[in-house]
Amino acid sequence: MGKSVVIVGAGAGGASAAAEARRRDPSLAIAMIEQGPQVSVAA
Amino acid sequence: MPYYIGDVIKDEKRLIARTPEKFRETGVDVRVNTRVEEVDGKAGAVRLSDGTSLPYDVLVLGTGAVPLMPGIPGEDLEGVFTLKKLSDARKIKAWLRDLPCRKAIIIGAGFIGMEMSEAIRNLGIETQLFCRRKLPASRWDPEFGKTILAELERHQVRFVSEVETQAIEKGKEYRLRLITSRGEEEADMVLMAVGIRPDTGLAGKMGLPLGKTGAIQVNFSQQAGREGVYAVGDCAESFHRVSGRWVNIPLGDIANKQGRVAGVNIGGGNMVFPGIVGAQCFKVFDLEVAATGLDEREAAAAGFHPVSTLIQGSAIAGSMPGNKPLGLKLIADKATGRLLGAQAVGEIGAVSRINTLSAALWAGFTVDDAGWMDLAYAPPVGGSWDPIHIAAQQLRRQI
Repeated sequence: MGKSVVIVGAGAGGASAAAEARRRDPSLAIAMIEQGPQVSVAA
Repeated sequence: MPYYIGDVIKDEKRLIARTPEKFRETGVDVRVNTRVEEVDGKAGAVRLSDGTSLPYDVLVLGTGAVPLMPGIPGEDLEGVFTLKKLSDARKIKAWLRDLPCRKAIIIGAGFIGMEMSEAIRNLGIETQLFCRRKLPASRWDPEFGKTILAELERHQVRFVSEVETQAIEKGKEYRLRLITSRGEEEADMVLMAVGIRPDTGLAGKMGLPLGKTGAIQVNFSQQAGREGVYAVGDCAESFHRVSGRWVNIPLGDIANKQGRVAGVNIGGGNMVFPGIVGAQCFKVFDLEVAATGLDEREAAAAGFHPVSTLIQGSAIAGSMPGNKPLGLKLIADKATGRLLGAQAVGEIGAVSRINTLSAALWAGFTVDDAGWMDLAYAPPVGGSWDPIHIAAQQLRRQI
């Protein structure tokens, strides 16, 4: 099992970090926590 | 989001780059409608609003920004809005559609204020824009502010200048009444667009170092001031390649790049975010308004000796039908001739000039370099001397 990554906020920055970390290392356990109902919303 | 509110983008789904389901398909555990209440840095765990805890080895803060409020009585009344989240956009859209809303007041003439003036006015609603300053878009030269003001007025947006908002009450003829330093005005909605600040609540509680901008300090790898913690997007600072200072410019394109850099590094790679030059733009009705680099005040604060020139040129060859005026301002350092910043306003070609000049700033060009740059030329798209050449050659004489 890879490292655990917790991402706080799923806007442009958090969502990009999640997508790229996943692409680079499939073994990472990634959780993305978002206070709103949607992720990755364009401003 | 202003384009969604204004019905230019009709389908809300178009605003969403990637759904939670798409993320989950790649094995990312997405939890929406959930807040992180606390970070226990020692134990390496976050406490969530649903009462559970999640352990982490690596933490990424992408907490974004929150709208500023003027702090006046009545700002929490129904019909007073801010615009930052999709839920805000939904609420505004519903309010505009269902009431019906006959008249709107927007407070603040920055990016959101300008884009929302257009969106609401184009829905056929009477629109007024209240501003503390004399002219809209104060980041730009007053001459461009006048051009923008004329564009607002041409589209029947009433601009109320040098006005302080003091209170909001329930209205008589309309839903709300705004009390200001220049009298009272009623409207069915009030949009507060007076700016945003980085949301550093969690970072502050964790004791992470914040910069002078109030945003989270990061290094070029997006690492915040503690092992295993990254910060990206509107809550974090960026390195400004012209001033050499750390700044906070909350824009989605910067957030995307910083997020990618953090993701690469978390995934075992080695990447740095090379910084920004401050490129930014908005559209208001038919005008493109764009800027990059530093303005004179920022340049002086960074230790430069700014000189500038402002020209009114042509977006395409002056002889061609469909030609439009293009205003371009260049700022340079008198001591070294280095290009420091640019602003452009016009119906066509303003953003393309600013993008070209952003590349020039990125590369550290002098005004002389800019004055001789080889640019694509044909009469329908530009003059044989581009406004960039004309302005740069003119500014060169001051150095």
